[in-house]
Amino acid sequence: MTATAMMAQPGLQREAPSREPRGGATVLDRLRHALRAIEGTEVGRSARSTPLGIACIDEALGGGLADGTLHEIAAMREAGMAAATGFALALAARSPGPVVWVAEDMGLIESGRPYGPGLDDLGLAPERLVTVAAAKSRDVLWAIEEALQCRGIGAVIGEIRSADIDLTTTRRLSLAAGRRGGLALLLRSAPGREASAAATRWTVEAAPSDVAAPFPTASAPTASAPTRSGAMALGPGPARFAVSLARNRRGHPGSWVLEWNRVEHCFDLASAHREPVAQAALDRPRQAAGA
Amino acid sequence: MSLWLKRLSTDRVRRQAREAASPEAGGSAGPAGRASPLAVAAKRGNVEELVAVDATAERLGLRPGLALAQARAMRPELTVVPEDRGSDERLLDGLADWCQRYTPLTAVEAPDGILLDIAGCAHLFGGEQRLVDDLSERIAGFGFTLRVGVASTIGTASAAARFSATTIVEAGAERNFLSPLRLAALRLPDETVSALARVGLKRIGDLIDLPRAPLAARFGAGLLLNLDRALGLEPEPLVPRLPVAPYVAEMRFAEPIAREDDVLAVTERLAARLEPMLERRHEGARRLELALFRTDGAVRRLAVATSRPVREAAHVRALFVERLNALADALDPGFGFDLARLAVLVAQPRPPEQIELTHGDHPADLDRLVDRLGARLGSRRVSRLVAYDEHLPELAAGSIPAHAAVGENAGWAAFRQYRFAVDLSPRPPRLFARPEPIEAIAAVPDGPPVRFRWRRALHEVIAAEGPERIEGAWWDADDGPVRDYFRVEDSRGGRFWLFRAGLYRAGATPSWFLHGLFA
Repeated sequence: MTATAMMAQPGLQREAPSREPRGGATVLDRLRHALRAIEGTEVGRSARSTPLGIACIDEALGGGLADGTLHEIAAMREAGMAAATGFALALAARSPGPVVWVAEDMGLIESGRPYGPGLDDLGLAPERLVTVAAAKSRDVLWAIEEALQCRGIGAVIGEIRSADIDLTTTRRLSLAAGRRGGLALLLRSAPGREASAAATRWTVEAAPSDVAAPFPTASAPTASAPTRSGAMALGPGPARFAVSLARNRRGHPGSWVLEWNRVEHCFDLASAHREPVAQAALDRPRQAAGA
Repeated sequence: MSLWLKRLSTDRVRRQAREAASPEAGGSAGPAGRASPLAVAAKRGNVEELVAVDATAERLGLRPGLALAQARAMRPELTVVPEDRGSDERLLDGLADWCQRYTPLTAVEAPDGILLDIAGCAHLFGGEQRLVDDLSERIAGFGFTLRVGVASTIGTASAAARFSATTIVEAGAERNFLSPLRLAALRLPDETVSALARVGLKRIGDLIDLPRAPLAARFGAGLLLNLDRALGLEPEPLVPRLPVAPYVAEMRFAEPIAREDDVLAVTERLAARLEPMLERRHEGARRLELALFRTDGAVRRLAVATSRPVREAAHVRALFVERLNALADALDPGFGFDLARLAVLVAQPRPPEQIELTHGDHPADLDRLVDRLGARLGSRRVSRLVAYDEHLPELAAGSIPAHAAVGENAGWAAFRQYRFAVDLSPRPPRLFARPEPIEAIAAVPDGPPVRFRWRRALHEVIAAEGPERIEGAWWDADDGPVRDYFRVEDSRGGRFWLFRAGLYRAGATPSWFLHGLFA
């Protein structure tokens, strides 16, 4: 088989869902593919990807987060680490197989340790998780690489607190991810400024939840506190994330506000108005696809 | 076989002095130090007295038990060092470990002896005499005064080492050998020896043929037991200092090895030798120990644990690669290692495996990853989450080392059942190891906070849910006051899990804590 035939194959697959309007785009796509093949980041990559379950984002990503590549998820600031963690965990939970979470000791002190009873809410069964605590960021990077080279791992979350990670490191990690095809998520406490070999770079922030929306539980909320006034009469709504896709190798960047559905374990697109949210929940893409 | 280190304490002090002096002064400090008498002193009762003396001091007429003041008056040039029993014990343990190069069964005979069970090992060294020569030469080379006794019972061997010039007592000759020795050679308490002396019994031979019942009645059963044990009429097993490994492979080197690569290559070859042994008995190793014997008598031990029984040499090597990488100080081979031993400390059944044809899940790969990570970072740092049947959030879930994890769901199935049954309110995915104190202001005594300050930042609460009251078990007073948990959201969208410890009562101000972060 010639090199062009090999490259044409994934190109054809990609065209079907995105339906590029202009002919020039496909040529560009091919060129990009050829470049990636030379770089080695996509060689041997399985065509699998992990969809987020939201049509417009998955379309931008070309079908979802590509497995076997590195994705960077950064909090806007140190205090927003919890939201970034939640987003990363929810993504990792969508991959099949065990999940390895590697973190520095300092990170576990600053933002707390993984807590099993809370992971279920994000769709990640706690028994799937293996946590690794390392004393230094060097050990974290080593452990991520080791975990990525292991067959049968669904996703690896690497939590890094050091300010900068150089291009060589991210390239190493994405090469390691490409070998076995696991989902590699680099979780950072601040957006990186330096060049990176990651396929996508996200920044995640907690967005104010829809306070008036009923919190989805099986029955009525727990014992309500006596006399509360105004907004305080209601508890926080479902978690919302303001995510922005700052870099996307397979499509255009964008930013969205996502709402986590803790019952269905999927993301919904949230908007400023309440009614459309409720409607969007009815025709969820995953259900429409019969998944 | 019994070793008697007669001058353990003083030899230790001399060795330390020599080690400290050798870098700069070379040999000059050694002879000068040897010339002056040395003694170790300690307080016994109300008197400072000598407890150990070296050969020079003994020649000058100093004996253990002499009062320190008297000794100083007799010999003003005497160097006195305070007693350090801890160091002596450590040294003796270290030497006993070193003796494992001859046999896996070694024991410490406090305060100054070491026992070795050399049955079945002596021929490996060319007979008992050769073994004794080899061992004496090496230990004397470390700078210790040593007496050795070899016999088929512990009692006779230790008597030979301490009370006689004979080294090897043949099996069956115990009676003739022991008869002329003083009674103290039977390892008896001092009172018994002096009581026996008062009735005219001074040598072991005096005792052997006496009627046994009156002796036992007067001096206790211990006397006869020790006698019988020494004569081999009563068994006395040696209790080894370290557990004996079920599988051991070792390799001696004509020329000491020092390079890390060599050590790893040797490890792999040893593991390859263990492999058929393990396979024959359908077992695999869960814990392995590599002991490296340095030429100067130190023993370096490295242990690795595995999450499932392993046999493959390559896997074992990979684990030790990580273990060596993780060492804070390098391996420090000194002048090199002359003996390496790989032992399987814990083995577990592992049936022979079928070669897999399918490419399904790879649990073995995950276990291998856990082992590799654990070997380098420490096995406690690689963990799995488990659920416990507890009310307090920090006790309801924990983590255990991943290689020790058993069962598929580790209590989570039960937790899920409980959660659906009581409709448990959400828990945060990240929990602080200890709740962080915050300053919070609540509008009403039982209500959620209106604003709170955490890590110096002020958070305005715009929505809150709660309280969810969580109490520890009533029988456990350590669980602290009642906690009222609230799930709150601040104006910037941050979601927190807070609790108030205690209740607002007259004269009591409860404190607030932040326990976890919601996504």
